[in-house]
This record gives sequence, C-alpha cells and structure tokens, in this order.
Amino acid sequence: MNAPAARTSGSHVLIVGGGGTGGALAHDLTLRGVKVTLVERGEVTSGTTGRHHGLLHSGARYAVGDQESAIECIEENTILRRICPGSFEENDGLFVAITDEDMEYLEPLLKGCADCGIPTETLTPDEALRLEPLLNPDLKAAVRIPDATMDAMRMPLRFFATAKHGGAEIHSYMEVKDLIVHDHVVSGAVVQDHVTGKEGEVRADIVVNATGPWSEQIASMAGVDVPIRPSPGVLVALQGRLCNMVINRMHRSGDGDIVVPQRALSIVGTSSWTVDDPDDLGVPEDHVQRMYEEGAKLIPAVKQAEFRAAWSAARPLIGSRGQADTGRELSRTFKTYDHRESDGVEGFVTITGGKGTTLRVMAELCADVICAKLGIDAECRTRDTVLLPHEAYYAA
Amino acid sequence: MTETRRFRVFRFKRGDRGPHLDEFDVPVTARTTLFDAMRWIQFNRDPSLALRHSCLHASCGTCGVRANGREVLMCVTAVHDLGREITVEPIANIPVLTDLVVDMTEFYARFPEEHPLVRESGFDLGAEASEGVATYQRYEDCIECGLCLSACPVVATTDRYVGPGALAWAQRILEEPRDEDVLSVRDWADDPDGAWRCHAAFECTEACPSNVNPAARIMQLRGTLLGPRLTSREMPR
Amino acid sequence: MRDTTRADGVPGASERAARGPVLRKGVGPSPTGWFDPRGRAIGSWAFAVNRITGLGLVFYLYLHLGVLSMLLSGRSAWNDFLEIATTTVFLGLDVLLLFGILFHGLNGVRVALVGTGVVPNRQMALFLAGTVIGTIVLVYGAVHIVGNG
Repeated sequence: MNAPAARTSGSHVLIVGGGGTGGALAHDLTLRGVKVTLVERGEVTSGTTGRHHGLLHSGARYAVGDQESAIECIEENTILRRICPGSFEENDGLFVAITDEDMEYLEPLLKGCADCGIPTETLTPDEALRLEPLLNPDLKAAVRIPDATMDAMRMPLRFFATAKHGGAEIHSYMEVKDLIVHDHVVSGAVVQDHVTGKEGEVRADIVVNATGPWSEQIASMAGVDVPIRPSPGVLVALQGRLCNMVINRMHRSGDGDIVVPQRALSIVGTSSWTVDDPDDLGVPEDHVQRMYEEGAKLIPAVKQAEFRAAWSAARPLIGSRGQADTGRELSRTFKTYDHRESDGVEGFVTITGGKGTTLRVMAELCADVICAKLGIDAECRTRDTVLLPHEAYYAA
Repeated sequence: MTETRRFRVFRFKRGDRGPHLDEFDVPVTARTTLFDAMRWIQFNRDPSLALRHSCLHASCGTCGVRANGREVLMCVTAVHDLGREITVEPIANIPVLTDLVVDMTEFYARFPEEHPLVRESGFDLGAEASEGVATYQRYEDCIECGLCLSACPVVATTDRYVGPGALAWAQRILEEPRDEDVLSVRDWADDPDGAWRCHAAFECTEACPSNVNPAARIMQLRGTLLGPRLTSREMPR
Repeated sequence: MRDTTRADGVPGASERAARGPVLRKGVGPSPTGWFDPRGRAIGSWAFAVNRITGLGLVFYLYLHLGVLSMLLSGRSAWNDFLEIATTTVFLGLDVLLLFGILFHGLNGVRVALVGTGVVPNRQMALFLAGTVIGTIVLVYGAVHIVGNG
C-alpha cells in the first residue's frame, strides 16, 4: 500500500456528502497531504451512488451522442480495473439490435466507439446467442464492448477505506444543518450527529459540496445557486441471473434499454424524469411496467422473472432550470464550481454531475481546483494507487 | 389503497441510559416496503431516526433489521407481510451504533484476513456456463448483511465464535482456492471457536437473503477438515 | 478509524468511538442466549430441545444410579421403590423419559450426519424422518408403558 504523503499544509477540507464523489475526493486529497473530514447524513453511498445498476461503463452508450462522456468513461473504465482489482465482473457487454431501426444505429455506434477509443467486436446473432442463450432469438446483430459489472456500494467503499487509513476522517450519520458563512466566506458547517443526537460545528478552510442531487440544498446554505436538476430513473431487480454480460439495446438512450447481472439478480433499467426534491422521488408504476416491456425485448425471460425490488435513483444532471423536461438531453459530464469565481463566495466549492464510472476523475479535477485555492502544489496520485479492499473501511 | 400500520421502532443515541421504542402510525399501501415506511418516519415524523441503506435492491446488504424478531432486509420486505403491529429493531449480536444502525466493524473482524469478492464460474459447481463461454466472473453470493450472525443462537452466547458468514467464506476459499493461502484458512477454521462451534440450528441459512446457505457450507467445511484426520493422511505442507 | 485521539472538530467523537450495546435475540435487549426461541425457526427449537433433553438425560442418569443403589439397602427398600415406580405419574414420567431419549438420540444422529459434512444439505429431510420415526416409537412405547402399568 502506498504511504500517504506527509502533511503538506495545515489546511483542512470539509467534504459534505458521502457518495462516490466525496469518497474519491477524500482519497485524492489525502494522498496530496491535505487533512480531510467528510460528513454524510446517512451511510456512505446511501444517496445515488449505491442505487445504480452497477454498470462500469465502456462509454459505448455515449459514443454517438456525447463523445466527451464516452472518452471519459473508457479511460476511467481502464483505470478503475487497475486500481480496484477484484471488484468487477469483467464479462464485457453487448449492444443488441432487435429491430431494423436498431440496425441503423450499428454503423454510427461502431464509428463512434472507434472515434472514442472504445474497442468493439461485431458478432453474428448465432455468436451472440452462444454467449448469452437467453437473448431475444430475433436479434439482428450484436456488438461486444468492454462493459463490466460492479457492486455499486463496495467499489466506492474502497476509496473511503483507503482515505480513512490514510488519515481522513469519515463520519457517517452526521448531517449538515447549515453552513457557517460570514461576509461571503464559508468557514465550516453546523452538523447534527445522529449517533449522539448532539449538534456541533466543524471548521474548515474549504467546504466542498459533493452531495449530488442534493447540491442545490447545500449550495443555498451558502447563498449560491448551482444548476442541478435531480433526474431520477426507475430500476427493477428480478430474481435470476438472466445474463452474464451487460446487455444494452442498440439505439439512442431510451427507457429500459439495459439489463445488468448482479449476483443472482438481473437489474433492468432505466427511465428518466425530473423532480425538485431529491428526497421525494416516487416509483411510478407505469415506469416499472415499461422496464418489464423493454427489458423483455432484450431478454424475453424478463417477462416471467420473479420480482425482487423496484426503486428510483436520482442522477445529478447539470443544466439550468427550465431546460429540458426528461433530463436525457442534459450533458452527463461533471463540473467543479469554485464559488469565488461564480458567486463571490470564498471557501466553497461544488463538484457535481457525472456518473458512477467517473468518480475518480471528478475527484482529480476537483482536487486540482482545491489545491490551487489552498496554494498547495501536489500532484494527483490516484491513477496508479491500488485501493485497499472494501472491508478495510470497517477495520478498527 | 392506503391504510395505517403501527410501528414500534428501537431508538438509541449514544449517551442515553438505555434504548426505548418509539411508536409511529405510518400510511402504507400494498407495495410499501419496510424501508419505505422507515424513511417516511424519517422524513415526516422524526429526522433524527438513523437508517442504514444503500442499494435498495438486496444487493448491498446494508439495510438488515429485525422485524417482529425475524431478520430481514428492509428494502425487499413488504409491510403487509409483517402484520398489523410491527416492532423494528437493529440486528442482534453486533454492537448498535445508533437507532437501527449497527457498527459492522465487529462483523468484518470475524473474517479471515482477505476475502475475495469475485470468483470464476468454473469453480462453481452450480454455475451454468453458456456454450460460447468457457468461464465468466461472478460476485460471491454473500452480501455481508450480517443477518446470519444475528440469527445464530451460538453467536448470541459468545463473541468469540467467528460465525456463519465468515465460515461460509472460508468454505468458499477451500472450494475455490484461487491464490489464497488455503492452509492458513484451514487452520483458522479448524478451531473450537471456528467450524466446531456450530450446533446445526440452521438459523443462518433461514435468514440469509442471498442463497449462501452458510449452515450447509459449515458442514461441508467440517467434512473437509475431518477427511485427512479420519484417513490418517498427512496434510500437505 | 476508531481513534479517540482524533476527537477535534467533530461533536461526540469519543462517544461514537465507544462500543455500543449489543442486542441478543428476542424483543428488547435480552440477556438470554440460546434459550430464547422467539422469532426462531425449527432448527433453533431442535437445538434448544436437544440441550434440555441432554440435561434431562444426565439428571435421569444420576437419578437412576441413585435408585439402583437402593438394591444395596435390601429387598424391602427395593420393593418400596417398585410401588412408586408403577404409579401413573411415574409411568407418565417414563413416557417423558422415552421422548427425551428418542428426541436426543434421533436429533443427535441428524446433527452427527449433517455436522460432519456427510449429508450437509439434507438436514430438514433428516429432521422430518426423525420426527416420523420418533413419533411412531413414542406412541407405541407410551401405550405399552402406561398400558402395562
């Protein structure tokens, strides 16, 4: 295990939000010698991070419409396999064409992947069925891409574990009630500890808002606005491991166009709409039905599979209010907002957007901004630092 | 159609003299899960209620509780299966952190050093590889929820018994060694507080939400440990 | 890290670091361990009854030795004992003893076969088979014990 850098400064960073982004940022800053405290109102990854279907993106899904995202994905896909060995089912994925209309997407998909550096292999229907016998037998073509499956909670947990053993303080069940702001300077947070029931303060040189779809709530405590639209989607877990590879529909993003294996379950997702309150998502019944219908087009056995769970998870999508109703049109890239530049508020940074696959690079770019603000000259070391196993998070 | 169920929820904050039960009447429908009900309480009645959850689909194992004395995962337990009045407590035999949340440090402390997460299907006798696939990777079934530890009557009597979860892991390593040090795992399991402490109550298998069947694995482990002894074969060193 | 020295800046850090209360099975923080069958499945009941019958059989063994020692006290002492031994209550206890022997023995066979990895997956089948055999023998035995008393 790499030893943490000697403390390069007396600076203290408080990260609000214990999702994948917060965890990766805690790890990155700790490696750069910064003292980090992270507070999360529930269990770590209990926001959006733990709820996604567990896909390690190859980027192929974005290769046609959002190449910036696609390139980010394939790069991080490679890096994560290196720094989190043994945390992925590395079985690849398939893009499957069911209709003639799907076939029109084949060429753009292959070209898009080639442009983005995503390796592909075109398969005949027979070859695809030999790999995945439960696929729709009427499939017309399949393309193999380097998707992989992760445990949505345990992979990010490795970042937390490494950060913790490097000296970061990770406090779950500690909820930020307000930020401490004087004269446009954020100097800490008022927290409620749900373990002891007590209230207290945590002071820091920089407070980072890494709360994903809750970004607006925290930002408003500092009197600033961030253009985050919580954009939930429904996912359905079915009994039975209906596939070993990730199965994607070969078309532009749509509802129910992916099936991901998770141990002895199969996850069908997802849909998209926008809400105002990330704590009130709901699970629309018609969306659940749509998962069954669309999923069955890829794998007919979905229709008969026994129900295990249906839930919603909110993506933190960047865009301004009033723009787009479904959320899909908004970019899936991420952004760091230094609120001194955008709002004249010192000591406060928001990192948001992105997806599970890009947690490490989000943290890298945010940590660059933070270190620049703190006047710390330290390079990112997360690309090559192999992370501790997830159970180290719970080690005394 | 909405009706109301009464929940008695275990509450404990550090510094309290002892725990108590809070009562809440929660509106529920046919689809409401125990997790939905607890979160409703958290958002509408008492924001200080601490809940542990992450994936919401029985994949992460973090939302284990005891509902009316039985170990369940909140996110996949329908309230209407639980009765009119429901007592919700944290899982047993693991120290409580706060309210319904336990501190999993002592769960993980019972495991042998490193336990791998992903296995190759070739070693899994029950796996069906498709024609075009020689082998594939697959996560171990165990989602580390701790329900087995909570259900085990032997764990209830002692903190030294390593427990069903850890022993099931050990059996998996002996079944599929990969690069693990099989001998050290054997020695770890071959202990009065290891595989020999189990008394075949089979509560762990009953409670497990993820098909691990820890009780049968402990028995298989014992068979593996006994084999060389009964045939007086020297264990390879 | 459960390190109480890093208590600066975070409220209640030392209380967090302390070991929390440990609940045992049963409603509320109960001190009972294995002998709390509330909310348990059949496997735990078998486990608990096996222990009780085990204790019962040990107790019976000493009792029996004590009774046999009456033989040393001569014929009349033994005859006095036999009078008690043929009362209905005593015979009823004999049936209870038979249940204890059957349960402990048959469940013990199940535990031995399952617990050494011989038939780890058939524990329920063995339990049911034992129940059937045990019930038949118990009924037959009870009828004969009380009937002939």
